Amino acid sequence: MDTDFAKRRRRDLIVAFCLAAIAAVVPLFVKDSYVQNIMVLTLMWAALSQSWNILSGYCGQISLGHALYFGIGAYTTTLLFTKFGVLPWFGMLGGGLISAVIAMGLGYPCFRLRGHYFAIATIVIAEIGLLLFHNWDWAGAALGIEIPVRGDSWLKFQFARSKLPYFYFALALACVAWFVTWWLEDSKWGYWWRAVKDNPDAAESLGVVVFNSKMGAAAVSAFLVAVGGSFYAQFVSYIDPESIMGFHISLLMALPAVLGGIGTLWGPMLGAVILIPVTELTRSYAGGSGRGVDLIVYGGLIIAISLARPQGLVSLFTPRRKEATR
Amino acid sequence: MSTPLLETRGVWQRFGGLVANSDVSISVGRGEIVGLIGPNGAGKSTLFNLIAGVLPPTQGTIWFDGEDVTALPAAERCVRGVARTFQVVKSFETMSVIDNVIVGALMRNTVMRVARQKAHEVLEFCGLAARANVLASDLVPSEKRRLEVARALATEPKLLLLDECLTGLTPLEAQTGVELVRKVRDTGVTILMVEHVMEIVMPLVDRAIVLDLGKVLVEGKPADVVRDPKVITAYLGDRHAVGA
Repeated sequence: MDTDFAKRRRRDLIVAFCLAAIAAVVPLFVKDSYVQNIMVLTLMWAALSQSWNILSGYCGQISLGHALYFGIGAYTTTLLFTKFGVLPWFGMLGGGLISAVIAMGLGYPCFRLRGHYFAIATIVIAEIGLLLFHNWDWAGAALGIEIPVRGDSWLKFQFARSKLPYFYFALALACVAWFVTWWLEDSKWGYWWRAVKDNPDAAESLGVVVFNSKMGAAAVSAFLVAVGGSFYAQFVSYIDPESIMGFHISLLMALPAVLGGIGTLWGPMLGAVILIPVTELTRSYAGGSGRGVDLIVYGGLIIAISLARPQGLVSLFTPRRKEATR
Repeated sequence: MSTPLLETRGVWQRFGGLVANSDVSISVGRGEIVGLIGPNGAGKSTLFNLIAGVLPPTQGTIWFDGEDVTALPAAERCVRGVARTFQVVKSFETMSVIDNVIVGALMRNTVMRVARQKAHEVLEFCGLAARANVLASDLVPSEKRRLEVARALATEPKLLLLDECLTGLTPLEAQTGVELVRKVRDTGVTILMVEHVMEIVMPLVDRAIVLDLGKVLVEGKPADVVRDPKVITAYLGDRHAVGA
């Protein structure tokens, strides 16, 4: 039994490595920059959704306000670079740390709330963050900030001519988010989080400090999302509150995980690989017919999945363990 | 004699106007199996929750292993060596049986491999080894009760609190449950069990404490307790006590 378990863990790791290796060579053959753009976004949303999944999937604390951390990451990097000339790499790290601290600061009061009330609180808090940035003149207010072009370089993480560097960074980010999840899944934290999700009272009786586990999950999740936000700012080189911290960002982070399988290792990846290309393609082909068609597709997919496969698409690949043991 | 493992000293619990426990002082010695019985609404579950640390008592203190644990939350008491099961089973439904037990085992073992090994041993001990990889939600009720016990044992407790873990089982299941409880005690774990079904508990426990209307009514050897007129009155009403 133990060896089965170890085998499954190792198999996950090998599969992930192979997929990453395949993904890494794809852009060498696919030169079309529109397709490359979609690939970058797919990987980025996969990473974000994977990070969201740590708090909301594993630990069961549904957050619909992760746009806040995405925004903080993006703004920290951009402001540090434009105002103080700090390299984006430090901004990325700084944004991640600030987000993690803020996540814990907000978690302190909010983790006393359970279920829907927690989710509502996260929506409201993210909205407050959005309004603050809307009115913060020094940070560009509603107009936003443009990142000045300083020429292509890894040091400044700017590339005007090629999308490849962005692609590889997004790939690395997705790998890191996946690996962190993989690693945490079989750790004390992973077990504690799932216990907290399933039954906090029982968890508490087994020595799990429920509050601290939630705080830990929130910090890890917020850190990774903020790094994703930093990356996105560099990628689009222009940020404004609405496009970075709007409610849709929080939603887009949650949906791949929900579609693929919430609280699973592969769910967010699978969900993002399906959802993001679909949404990007509908956006460009149905673009003339008004805003929101892509979101209608999103909504339709989610409804279909929650009716037919509430556990998410990954459940199609995992045989029920019941049959396996009896 | 050494200090008792568990002691409540003058414990009160009020819920608004309702007094669930009034001035309850009980003690449980090391290695004992103590039954906490009483009719519905006697305050058994409340007292049980006070001991487990779900809520602090309105008044009074709770001592465990020579230490005042009144102010400690449930998780801290688990660290000290108090483990419990729930009357309404609270399995981690989306996790497999072995994973459920690992959560308990991680209490004392931080290395995953060791915790997993420990969990397997406990499952073996509780007769659930064959179901290790089944989802907890797929277990039948009697297995879920066993899982509750296994999970609690994995925390390597000194005191195991069993909340009606034999209630609602078939006679055969209850009998295997009784054997499991004895086996647990033989490993040196002290047991305090809340139970409803007298005929199951009485042969099992060393000592019975009867609660009624929030107070300790009678305490003593099971054989004496069941013959006590006060207990019969509490359970069956005055009419039946007259003849006793």
